[in-house]
Amino acid sequence: MIAVSSLRPTTTRGAIGLAVGVAILAALAVVPFVLPSYRTALFVLTFMYITLASSWNIISGYTGYVSFGHAAFFGLGAYSAALLMIRLSVHWILACIAGGLLAAVVAVPLGFILLRLRGPYFAISMLGLSAALQIVASSWTPMTRGGSGLSLPPTLNLVESYFAMALSMLVVLFVSYLIITSRYGLRLIAIREDEGAAESMGINTTAHKVSAFVISAFFPGLVGGVYAWYLAYIDPTSVFRPILSIDMIIMSMFGGAGTVFGPVIGGVVLTAIAEAFWARLPELHQAVFGVLVIIIVLFMPGGVMNLLRTRGLLPRNWRI
Amino acid sequence: MEISTLVQLLIGGLLLGAVYALAAAGLNLIFGVMRVVNFAHGDLMMLGAYVAFWLYTLAGLNPLVSLLATVPLLFLLGWGLQRWLVDRVVGQPPLMSLILLWGVSLVIINAALFLWTSNSRSVPAFSGGIELGGLSISRSRGIAFVAAIAITGAVWLFLQRSRWGKAIRATAQSSEMALVCGIDVARVRHITFGLAAAMAGAAGNLIVFIFAVSPVVGPTFMLKSFAIIVIGGLGSFQGALVGALVVGVIESFSAYVLNSQVSEAIVYFALILFLLARPNGLLGARL
Repeated sequence: MIAVSSLRPTTTRGAIGLAVGVAILAALAVVPFVLPSYRTALFVLTFMYITLASSWNIISGYTGYVSFGHAAFFGLGAYSAALLMIRLSVHWILACIAGGLLAAVVAVPLGFILLRLRGPYFAISMLGLSAALQIVASSWTPMTRGGSGLSLPPTLNLVESYFAMALSMLVVLFVSYLIITSRYGLRLIAIREDEGAAESMGINTTAHKVSAFVISAFFPGLVGGVYAWYLAYIDPTSVFRPILSIDMIIMSMFGGAGTVFGPVIGGVVLTAIAEAFWARLPELHQAVFGVLVIIIVLFMPGGVMNLLRTRGLLPRNWRI
Repeated sequence: MEISTLVQLLIGGLLLGAVYALAAAGLNLIFGVMRVVNFAHGDLMMLGAYVAFWLYTLAGLNPLVSLLATVPLLFLLGWGLQRWLVDRVVGQPPLMSLILLWGVSLVIINAALFLWTSNSRSVPAFSGGIELGGLSISRSRGIAFVAAIAITGAVWLFLQRSRWGKAIRATAQSSEMALVCGIDVARVRHITFGLAAAMAGAAGNLIVFIFAVSPVVGPTFMLKSFAIIVIGGLGSFQGALVGALVVGVIESFSAYVLNSQVSEAIVYFALILFLLARPNGLLGARL
């Protein structure tokens, strides 16, 4: 409806956007070959965070069901991929995809159960779930070797890890774009704005919420597997660490929850800041993120994207 | 399992439950008045525990006496949090206040880590046990229990009898009507948060007799308190007591049969089960 009236500017912008996108992709493709490995590693980390923040965004940004425990899916994927590689010598790519699928499969019953809970109940249940899974991972010693963690044969292949993370990120961004520009995405946003009204309009809210939840569980599971393969070592405190859930939320909210580019902006800016200033001081990192959460909630609840919209730098109806 | 072990575990769980009840009643009070879930509640408990620890370690102060410092300090902190931060999001979707307080929680935890390191701290002021008809009851739990019941009772009396207590209950029933009746609702909110923070601090001050406490325990305490008010019934003062006793007993039994880490996971699963099967809790009113 709106698209018709603004067809011409959208097309011009679309062409510019396409050119910029291709240029960025080309630049990213040569990064691991021209930059020193520690810089490339930073890119790997940034891609991982963007993927995580975008996945969180699909359930929490679009439908408004804020999850405080998305690290649960990351840890689940990391553990199942690592176990597949160690026990069954599955190829790492297949193991990572299996990790993502497992997280998605687990999310189906979980979604049916937990998405009946609204607002703070859902948020806190997810937090409890991720804490409970961490406990399971550290107590189920015969399977997970408990707190001593799982070691994989070291691969030391930064280039493959780089492209695996980059591909995961591009896919999740593409999926987010498809969702937000589709009727499905509009229905998710309707659920966020007023679930009762959405339901009375004939939207099957349960099916929409659960499917969004499953999509948003797949990608953390996938990059959890890549992470395990890349570092060749995981333990319960590293892959279920609550700070991961925190990072996803803060990056998404900083950039602008409910948009495609918001988590990208948040992921890039906050990973860069974190690395540049306080990588050596983890307490300071979390404390500054805490202050940032407070500032975002009080002063910029829509994040950077919303600031750009209200300043007229982006069209008011911009949803990507 | 012998019957005496069973009784001892039950009593141990009930004693611990009373301390949880004190904290959970505070969480419930904030929820009842403002529909806000105080995500930093466990961190306020942690701060209370550290007040007791430092007064004991530096000045040799009896940790029961240190309640006289913990309660006013945490009251002021809670009052300030409400006055300067939470007031700005009251009336917005409940998730905004939850995320805001979660930011506050991060700041408190990491400030504590920075200032006091991640070491676990305990106050070994009351060691040993009390022999009671063949049962041995931990002295620290007994003392914490008596103090927790006394403080919870005092708060209950305050809410039932005093003018401010009535104002708080009126605001919980309907803040618009309370406003129309001439109650200063903004001040009621400040006092409510202050009071609840003081209850959390007092509970922390008591819990450090029983467990060692480190700066990162807050979220665990918060989850437990939340589980308690969900099990007992949101917004119900007596419900917090019942829920806390249930959680205390679940925890003490599963810690004995399995281990203390797994007992935490069991509390979370109980929370989720209750949210689904009985969202109004055992005693809660329909929301």
